[in-house]
This record gives sequence, structure tokens and C-alpha cells, in this order.
Amino acid sequence: MSHHWISLTLNGETIEAEVPANRLLSDFLRDQLALTGTKRGCETGVCGACSILIDGEVSKSCLSLAVQAHGKTITTVEGLAQGQALHVLQAAFMEHGGLQCGYCTPGFLIAAADLLSRNTSPDDAEIRKALSGNICRCTGYQGIVDAVRAAAENLNGT
Amino acid sequence: MRNLDYLEPESLDEALRMLADYGDEAAVFAGGTALLLAMRQRMLAPGIVVALGGLSALRGIGYTPEAGLRIGALSRHSEIARADIVREHYPVLAKVAAGLANPQVRNQGTIGGNLCYGDPATDPPSVLVALDAELEIAGRSGTRRVAMADFLVDYFTTALEPGEILTAIHLPPVTPGRVGHYKRHLRTPAEHRPVANVALTLTERGGLWDDVRLVIGAATPVAQSMARAAAALTGQAITLDLAAEAARIAAEDLTPVSDARGSAAFRRQVVRATVRRIVAEAAGLDWSEAAA
Repeated sequence: MSHHWISLTLNGETIEAEVPANRLLSDFLRDQLALTGTKRGCETGVCGACSILIDGEVSKSCLSLAVQAHGKTITTVEGLAQGQALHVLQAAFMEHGGLQCGYCTPGFLIAAADLLSRNTSPDDAEIRKALSGNICRCTGYQGIVDAVRAAAENLNGT
Repeated sequence: MRNLDYLEPESLDEALRMLADYGDEAAVFAGGTALLLAMRQRMLAPGIVVALGGLSALRGIGYTPEAGLRIGALSRHSEIARADIVREHYPVLAKVAAGLANPQVRNQGTIGGNLCYGDPATDPPSVLVALDAELEIAGRSGTRRVAMADFLVDYFTTALEPGEILTAIHLPPVTPGRVGHYKRHLRTPAEHRPVANVALTLTERGGLWDDVRLVIGAATPVAQSMARAAAALTGQAITLDLAAEAARIAAEDLTPVSDARGSAAFRRQVVRATVRRIVAEAAGLDWSEAAA
């Protein structure tokens, strides 16, 4: 099996690593870099728990090989907070009950961050569409939609 | 996932040579959203993956009034959805791309990969048949063009020969009065694979429809053109009764698949309802208050 040296920017830091060709990007993040914020859920591209930003666009890391991260800029949920200061989305999820068990939360935060980077004042339909690649099996979605709306309002100072 | 060698050709020629050298052992990797799933579920177990990501000739979306639209096969669904030239000239295609699967898959999956995989439970094939798309396919002996309808052979089977690579999708130039519509039925809002979909294109002349294409996808092994139903809609004033009649004909002519996601009988009824609604909506009629 081929092995590859990859170099990427991960949460603002340059990372170099050797990966086997068949390693999924989600496994690389969790098992090789110990960044376990990114979750493995269905591992079949359905649930969105493994969502990360690749070059600023929300993507499922179980649908990519690690070798393909070479040259990319990646943000995982660990890259959202600034030191001890939570990202505005993280704070809003806490305040509005956007989570219960929390397993799906990293994926929802990343999908919501992608939305707010392109659309600073989404309506509820746009929020729901942007989160349609992510599944929550305990909270239900209303608290999550409330949290994303509140985060957008917070960012806009409204 | 089994051990594999990952190859990154830098040119189309190099990619074609790799496919010739490795034969059945090699699989082509475009966006990976389908291939990686198939590999993880052991439906496919290639020892060699030829990743096309470095082939710039397979990227880009361009339009000229003479040649029409060319979509590079590696264009991701999100790129098609937001391309100004697609939104302007082929709004129905932009709409389909914007609604395919979910945001993550639209950012990762490619139109070429979608078509070559041959999975019927998806959005693009029917609309591309209705838009008279042609596919540009490269092989070691040169390039050929195949009509979209001929590219789709059977369930998960395309006209792609071993060693060939789909390089682009071409749509003919837009003509005055030509419009497109698309409608699909999802079993639940959370499931992104349609049970059935309907693409409708037509040219409006003096309030009547000409050159009608009515194409069913997802409910059938390959996108199916409904010639009899399209003929019924041609040159006639569109009424709710005519929409219902075209829908009845389409349901009758349908060759449905029957599987865990929907029986043949169910899919036939879904197609009937969806055809009736898309025809009515295309004619500006409200179907919701009328009996089917």
C-alpha cells in the first residue's frame, strides 16, 4: 500500500504527517492527531457528525481520504473557540439548548459556521437547509435552529 | 477498507495510461462521495485508486452562444449551483444542483462522478436527458460524444468502456422560449435520495408547448423518456384534465424499480402524482384543489 506525506493547515497550524492511502480523513484527525472533537457517526456520509471545513466549505471527513487533505486548509470544531473564549455559535448552542447528548454538536457547529460565513442573516428556512446534512437524534432541531439564529443576530449586533 | 495504492495523474493522458495499465484493479476517484462508501461497504475493493483531482482539463464551467454550456466533469454540485452562467441560461439545472443531497455532499461530490456511478436514486440524470445533454468521453484512442440518454444503460451501468474517463457534460445553446422544470418526491425530508423525480422541458409558442421532453428518474433503472406523455402535451392547451391524462400515460409506460425504498406500485403512483403536478405548475395551474 502506498504511503503519502501530507502538509496542511489545521486550525491555523501547519501540520505534516505520513498517512497510508486508505486512511479516512476522519480517522486521521481522531486517531493520528487525537482531535476527537470530530465524531464518527454513521461513517456512510449521512449523519454529518464528522463535518469539518475544507478550504472554508463544510464537508464530511468520512467521505474523504486523509491523503486528499494535502495542501488544504482545514478547520475542525477544536478550531472554533479562541483560547478560552467560546465561538459565538458554541455559546448560542449552550444558551438555547441546541444539544442534549452532544455527539452531533461538532458537526452542527461546523455546518452552521459555514452558513454564517456566507450568509450573515439567514432566515429559518435557510438555516434548516444549511443543516440538512446533519442529524440529531435526541434534542430535536428547534433549539439548534434557535441557536444559529441567535448567533447570527449576535454577530450582526441586532 | 482494503490496502490500496493512491495515484495522482497530472494529465488526462497519464490518467488514461494508468487505467489501461491497471485494468479492473483500478477505480477512478472524482469527489469520493460514492466511491468511498462503496469501498467501505466492500461493494468495491479496488487495489488502486486513480484520483483525478489534479486534472485541470476536467474543471471549469463555460458558455458560448454557439457551442452552449460545457461543464467539466470534476465540477462539484455546489459549483454548478452557484455558477452565474448556469443560473442564467439553465436555471433548472442550477436548481437541481442546489438541492442535491445535502450541503456537504454538494461541496464534495462531482457531476461526473455522479453520472459515472450510475446510481438511479439521484437527481441529475433525468434533467440532463431533458436538457439534451451530451457527454464527452476520453479514451486512449481519442474523444467521443454520447447522448446522455445513451450513456445510461442500466442499473449502475453506463456506456463508459473500460479505461475511459468522462471529461465534460455539454448542453446545447439556449433557444428562445425554452424552459425547464424539475420536481422530485423524497420519502422523508431527511432522506436525500429521491424515490422518483420528473424533469420537463418545453418550448412555448403562442401559449402552446412544442418540443416537449418528459423524463422520469430515480423510479426507474435509468432515466426514462416518456414519449407518449410528451406527445399528449404537445400543441394542446394545457388543462388540469390534460395534465392528469399525461400523468396516467406516464405511469402506464413506466418501467419502475421495486426495492426496499419503494415498491413498483408505489413508485408508479408517485410518478403519476408528480407528473400531474409538474405539468400543472408549468402551465400556471393550481392542482391542489382539483381531484386527481
